[in-house]
Amino acid sequence: MPSLAVRLGTLLLRNPLLSASGTYGHGLEMGGFCAPSGIGGLVSKTVTLEPRGGNPAPRLCETEAGLINSIGLENKGVAQYLEEVLPEVASADCAIITNVGGHHDHEFADVVAMLDERDEVDAIELNLSCPNVDDGKLPLATDPKRAESVVAGARARTRKPLFAKLSPNVTRIGDMAMAVESGGADGITAVNTLLGMAVDWRTRRPGVATIQGGYSGPGIKPVALRCAWECARNVTIPVIGCGGIQTVDDVLQYLVVGCRAVQVGTSSFWNPANLGDLASQLAAALAEQGIDDVNDLIGTLEVARR
Amino acid sequence: MFRGFERERIATDAAADPFGVAILTGPMPAPPKDAVSQLATVVSSRPCGSDAVVLRLAPERPFEPLRASRFFMLRREDGTAPLIPRPYSVYRQGGGASSSTGEAPWVEFLIKVMGRGSRALEAAPIGSQLRLIGPLGNGWPVLDGDGAPWVMLAGGVGSAPFPMAIEQALRGMDGGAAVASRDLHFLFGARDRGLLYDLELFERLGVNVHTATVDGSHGMQGHVLQLLDALQAAGSIPKQIRVLACGPDPMLEAVHARAIEEEWDCWLSLETLMGCGVGICNGCPVPTREGGALAGWPNAKCCVEGPVFAARDIELVGH
Ligand SMILES: Cc1cc2nc3c(=O)[nH]c(=O)nc-3n(C[C@H](O)[C@H](O)[C@H](O)COP(=O)(O)OP(=O)(O)OC[C@H]3O[C@@H](n4cnc5c(N)ncnc54)[C@H](O)[C@@H]3O)c2cc1C
Ligand SMILES: Cc1cc2nc3c(=O)[nH]c(=O)nc-3n(C[C@H](O)[C@H](O)[C@H](O)COP(=O)(O)O)c2cc1C
Ligand code: FES
Repeated sequence: MPSLAVRLGTLLLRNPLLSASGTYGHGLEMGGFCAPSGIGGLVSKTVTLEPRGGNPAPRLCETEAGLINSIGLENKGVAQYLEEVLPEVASADCAIITNVGGHHDHEFADVVAMLDERDEVDAIELNLSCPNVDDGKLPLATDPKRAESVVAGARARTRKPLFAKLSPNVTRIGDMAMAVESGGADGITAVNTLLGMAVDWRTRRPGVATIQGGYSGPGIKPVALRCAWECARNVTIPVIGCGGIQTVDDVLQYLVVGCRAVQVGTSSFWNPANLGDLASQLAAALAEQGIDDVNDLIGTLEVARR
Repeated sequence: MFRGFERERIATDAAADPFGVAILTGPMPAPPKDAVSQLATVVSSRPCGSDAVVLRLAPERPFEPLRASRFFMLRREDGTAPLIPRPYSVYRQGGGASSSTGEAPWVEFLIKVMGRGSRALEAAPIGSQLRLIGPLGNGWPVLDGDGAPWVMLAGGVGSAPFPMAIEQALRGMDGGAAVASRDLHFLFGARDRGLLYDLELFERLGVNVHTATVDGSHGMQGHVLQLLDALQAAGSIPKQIRVLACGPDPMLEAVHARAIEEEWDCWLSLETLMGCGVGICNGCPVPTREGGALAGWPNAKCCVEGPVFAARDIELVGH
């Protein structure tokens, strides 16, 4: 049985498979489909300082090769998360990573400070990249200076592993990666959804109520994979790949381009057991290739020499 | 008396709790404990009405008897279907221990062919395997024979959660008194006769069946609520009733408005868009109603807190 354990800074994961924020609830609810003891960790839905009711329906629209969503960060706020969710999630036998969002820059640091006091939280992921607020302007995800300062603000409030989740909606994601690394991030999650749009030409209505939304699923994989690769080659901190993963081949591709772990999002919607299944399939795939340790595969992209 | 609806019970327990809805469904609304993600084999597919099929599936792992108006997420696994599974109410269940012929346990779905998902399911070859996630959702409340008569309002394919509901009510549910067949009225409305799916099946169940079609091709001409008005005016259905409804949005909106106005005990089975069916995508919000058991948070999740809601707990206009 190959060794699957990977390290993200000081965080040791049993295997590289994590849920993606907003696509697996808080994770423990899914215990009937996927045992936490079979995966690396659970990433929470984005938690914000204040409760957020989210966007109006329709919030989802399926497209040819993926899904457009405009959930709008619906969540009951950090107070409810600390009081009710965390004590329950603590029983999960895997890493608990809390994803944090905010409307104003200071909210990130405020929420991080509250999470820092809780032992149940193993790591924190900053959602710098939600396309479903602020009309998709993505201020934090597109301005390296501002992203760096938000990360630095959060860094000052916690010693827990801190990951920054980036948006693919930029020209040079490598610059964003370097900015959050110098802000003090311990890792990078690449990527969040792409801005996308759908329309029903018969009714003239947009697919989601907010007109544009976040595009995810198999259709974004080539874009997301490239983003993850560009991040990995520009920084020394670990990169967590995310976008369009549905099969174990997808997982292996992200590892080869340099990702230390991966997150599985939309494909959980068509099989909520997929995350756990991928972990077992990863072990089998490595064994078949005669690879004893998953770390031997990470970042092994072969580039032809001239 | 109305019993056994889990959310209502928790609601009373949690009434004193300042966190309101967060407690009602627990801090993390979860899919039902009996839900599994598995493969199921297509056993048969028969055309039904003018635009639907009844798909019979044999799951790898069979289910306990299912409460009517629970649902499953369904998807073809061979790459010819859209990615996102589609929600369908369980239409009928059989085989296994209940079967004298020794057939394997099966579940049936009544599928109206509309878009990509339903077209792919309609064309699923016999013997092929589908992804089947469930059973999901809460189902109808306990239908007991101790109170006012039950009126079931079905609009078109909204009839799907009713055959089993009628059988369960007549048999008695969860130790409650059985409903007498004279106290059960099934009102079936549709645009035309072709959309009164499996009407004969309902007529065989021995309850009061009444129909309405918009074009007058069967039963009264008009909508299902007009049919109810007419039956009440004629004295065939009393004023005091308990109501279940499932159908297209405009129909449910009208039923909801009437339920609020006339303070009916009324439950609606909603067919919102769903991404996952298990509570993880937040794609199925149902606006909650001030003063209702779900107030305290602007939205309920249709998949894990429904699909059946008491009319007094939700808002439907513009839904
Ligand atoms: C709990 C639940 C139980 C259901 N039970 C049944 C059932 O037993 N039988 C049945 O035939 N259908 C049922 N539905 C509805 C069914 O899921 C949808 O009709 C189906 O998803 C349509 O998929 P499609 O790919 O064929 O159509 P799509 O291509 O997704 O849509 C075709 C058209 O229908 C519209 N549409 C899609 N979904 C809905 C919806 N839910 N309500 C209104 N308009 C919609 C779209 O906007 C589009 O215009 C149920 C839904 C829910 C939530
Ligand atoms: C319905 C939905 C809700 C999401 N909510 C969040 C969120 O709250 N916070 C976040 O950081 N990312 C969120 N995402 C983005 C995912 O975590 C992930 O980055 C993206 O979907 C790409 O991965 P995928 O193609 O595997 O889904 C959401 C995605 C979807 C589809
Ligand atoms: S359908 Fe995904 S949360 Fe309800």
